[in-house]
Amino acid sequence: MTDQKNANPNKNAFRPIDLLADERWNKISIPFITILLTILVASLIMILIGRSPVVAMRSFLQGSGLWPKAVYTPSKGMLTDLFSFLGIFSPMLLASLGVVVAMKGGMFNIGISGQMLASGFLATVFIGYSDLSSTIARPLILLIGISVGGLLGALIGYLKYRFNIHEVVSTIMFNYIISYITGFFINGYYADMITRTSRAVRAAARLQVSDLTFMGQKISFPLGLPIALIAVFLIQFFINRTVSGFEIRMIGSNRICAQYAGVKVGRGLVRAMAISGMLAGLAGVTMYLGYYNTIVPKELSSMGYDSIAVALLGNLSPSGCIFASFLITIFQKGAVYMSSSTGVAKEIASVITGILLLFSATGIYIKHVAQRTRAKRSILPSSNKNNPNGNGGTRI
Amino acid sequence: MNVEAIIIDGMAFALPIFIMAIGGIYSEKSGITMLALEGLQGFGAFTGAIAVLILSPVIGENSPKLIYIAIFAAMIGGMIYSMLHAVLSIHFLANQVISGVVVNILAAALTTFLTSLLNESLTGEASNKIQLGAAPRFTVPYLSSVPILGAFFKDVYIFVPFIMFFALIAWYVLYKTPYGLRLRACGENPYSVDAAGGNVNGIRFSAVMICGFLSGLAGIFFAYSTSANFSPSIYMGYGYLAIAALIFGNWKILPTLGVCVFFGLAKSGGYQLTLALGLSSKVSDLFLTIPYILTLLLLIFFSKHNHPPKAVGQPFD
Repeated sequence: MTDQKNANPNKNAFRPIDLLADERWNKISIPFITILLTILVASLIMILIGRSPVVAMRSFLQGSGLWPKAVYTPSKGMLTDLFSFLGIFSPMLLASLGVVVAMKGGMFNIGISGQMLASGFLATVFIGYSDLSSTIARPLILLIGISVGGLLGALIGYLKYRFNIHEVVSTIMFNYIISYITGFFINGYYADMITRTSRAVRAAARLQVSDLTFMGQKISFPLGLPIALIAVFLIQFFINRTVSGFEIRMIGSNRICAQYAGVKVGRGLVRAMAISGMLAGLAGVTMYLGYYNTIVPKELSSMGYDSIAVALLGNLSPSGCIFASFLITIFQKGAVYMSSSTGVAKEIASVITGILLLFSATGIYIKHVAQRTRAKRSILPSSNKNNPNGNGGTRI
Repeated sequence: MNVEAIIIDGMAFALPIFIMAIGGIYSEKSGITMLALEGLQGFGAFTGAIAVLILSPVIGENSPKLIYIAIFAAMIGGMIYSMLHAVLSIHFLANQVISGVVVNILAAALTTFLTSLLNESLTGEASNKIQLGAAPRFTVPYLSSVPILGAFFKDVYIFVPFIMFFALIAWYVLYKTPYGLRLRACGENPYSVDAAGGNVNGIRFSAVMICGFLSGLAGIFFAYSTSANFSPSIYMGYGYLAIAALIFGNWKILPTLGVCVFFGLAKSGGYQLTLALGLSSKVSDLFLTIPYILTLLLLIFFSKHNHPPKAVGQPFD
């Protein structure tokens, strides 16, 4: 890499390869390529099973309230769908922020769905069914969400540091334990007789203001939306502008180096996981007490995995997560409408998320190839004619 | 308490986890972090179930051949799918933890989607299940009449001889052959293997494929025995239990077998306890948490002292 500077005196000239190789550009270009490839593969799948990809993609947007549907029932409209979309977008954003904070500390929190379920369940049981007024109930619910998620996260961080238990294994164990225990209590004590899910929480405690009328259309305003957007700014500030945030990033990039520099690694790990858990807890209460208003027993939300895709696609940056969760929520939320209008099973949404994850995981390779190609071209400017894509197949 | 039932059910749970854990040991010993066991066994079970679905009208639904075909298809399916993890982590230099999780998520999504797609085109209704029925069991004569311990040979699933066969071969190859030595060296110090003329990435690739091959057997065991169908509920986290087992087993095959048997007996013991106490089926949900809680507790006591392969998770360039 040092040769490249000497060999390339005209450094400021822009070449197409810089789009992928330059650190400034590839933060945007690589996710963009990822999305493009995913849409391409998804369209191919649609064509293979004999459906029109254009119609399918449009109905994903229609289901998310981003494209007008042909018919609407009275008093409903695009805004109804859009606010419903934002209702599930907010917990997705919060959950992905949780993944981001853990990953900055070099850890992989795939227990998001368990932490969401635990906090959502406890908030439902303790506050959701009580008759507190909404000014007391709603802050209390948020408090429970933050503390339950935070405690679970801190415990996982502690197990990792003190007992050397890989966080992926411990979080998965917690996921199943939480899912079975909450399932037992919901089935035994809190089940609705008809739906067999937990009874709906009272409207005063719900983190969603229902039945508003806005521009002649009925909408439900999700209270998670402002919370999630505030969280984005707070986490961005915390990671990039505070000492603790710097310590967490330091531990994440090189734990041994951090230790030599005097950072208390154990404290940093616990702190990163605790914050990650808090965000997951917030995601849990905004989803279970906001969007759904009920908990299906023994079912972990797929959001725990989707949020990993969001975090990777958003390049592990809180503001990038806004765009990434917007995109993935379109697929998740629009899947039901897409399924009913084209007849493709709605599980295709998870397949698309999986493919997106797959390409996101190869992002580092695209960057690697681009940087190597650029370095090579700078040394041998004549060798680039017959090999525009770099030597992707062979390795040095 | 029905001790026989505890042993029979416990072994039916322990052995598939054991064969999966051997796969994990192969992969991790070669230096590739293997969190994808869950997805590999699920995908293997899916291909096995597909083979049954397609071939059962051809060779007859009750043909005993069907089960061998299912085993073969599951192992090959698991092996082919595992190449995704190998390619991502060896050639695309992806973070191996992320790659493992990607493989798991994609397996769950793809198999669920393809199952409902296939069911819709074959039977007309979009069900996410493929019915398989329960595999035949057999009882070893003489040995099974030994008191208490004879239960280890009673009502054994047809998969068990396969598991024992492959486990023995796997043990021999890993510890007694030059290939096994090189494989283990790849996980400790890949540069020494490279210097000795070995092909590090080739060995790692083959180790991951062996892992997929063995995980497929575990997957079809789960699908073709207790649950009697292939459905998304195959993703019960047993792959992660296998990872926990190989961590207690300190990345060695024989201690891992002990841990798996312990898991199995703990699980079926808990279940038999609810039956013996006459508790309702709702309470049995709580007993289902036993293997997971035990895993955590055991990890707390044993994780500190174990020695993972030194180079695990580091790409070799």
